[in-house]
Amino acid sequence: MSDRDESQQRLKAAVHFTVGRLCQKTGEDHRRDFSRQVIASMAETAFRQCDIFAKDLEAFARHAKRSTVSTEDVKLLARRSNALSIYIQNKSEELNQEHRDLKKKNTGKRKARDTEEESRE
Amino acid sequence: MEGCQSDRAGEGFGETVSKLLSSFFKEEKTKLSGDAALLMAEMLRVFVQEAAVRSQKQAESEDCDQVDIEHFEKILPQLLLDF
Repeated sequence: MSDRDESQQRLKAAVHFTVGRLCQKTGEDHRRDFSRQVIASMAETAFRQCDIFAKDLEAFARHAKRSTVSTEDVKLLARRSNALSIYIQNKSEELNQEHRDLKKKNTGKRKARDTEEESRE
Repeated sequence: MEGCQSDRAGEGFGETVSKLLSSFFKEEKTKLSGDAALLMAEMLRVFVQEAAVRSQKQAESEDCDQVDIEHFEKILPQLLLDF
């Protein structure tokens, strides 16, 4: 097995594990178990969907003459369902807000340090 | 406590998603920004969650005790169209 195949196998196993855990939780919430066959199928589907997503994202970035996939590309990917589109846009806004908050915090620290040095002089 | 656990699990999943997507890129130079990776992890989480919830509802509508492959197969077409 090539290196790439090996790492993909490991990633597949990780996806399977996460899907299994999510199904377990959903099953508990609704008191209905998921058969092992369903979990395996869902994991396989999610894995294959990643391939489709990745190719689309790459195409979007290339179309915008970029080599790095951005959040704009992800938003475009989520265009098919209105609810999904809105959800992803909101998540993106949350991330931007986090960045802004972090920047403010760091600027605040620097200002405090500067005034400290000034007062010592 | 449960909240913390799911957060840690989320981080692990985020990294998996990032590596997985990167492995599917056709060109070496294509990269995934940090924020894009986070959003994609969310998107995949929603994908799997929708698959699970819809399958569960299908099983419920058929009065079945267990969620089986037929239930997943029935909801799969619409799921793929929605994504």
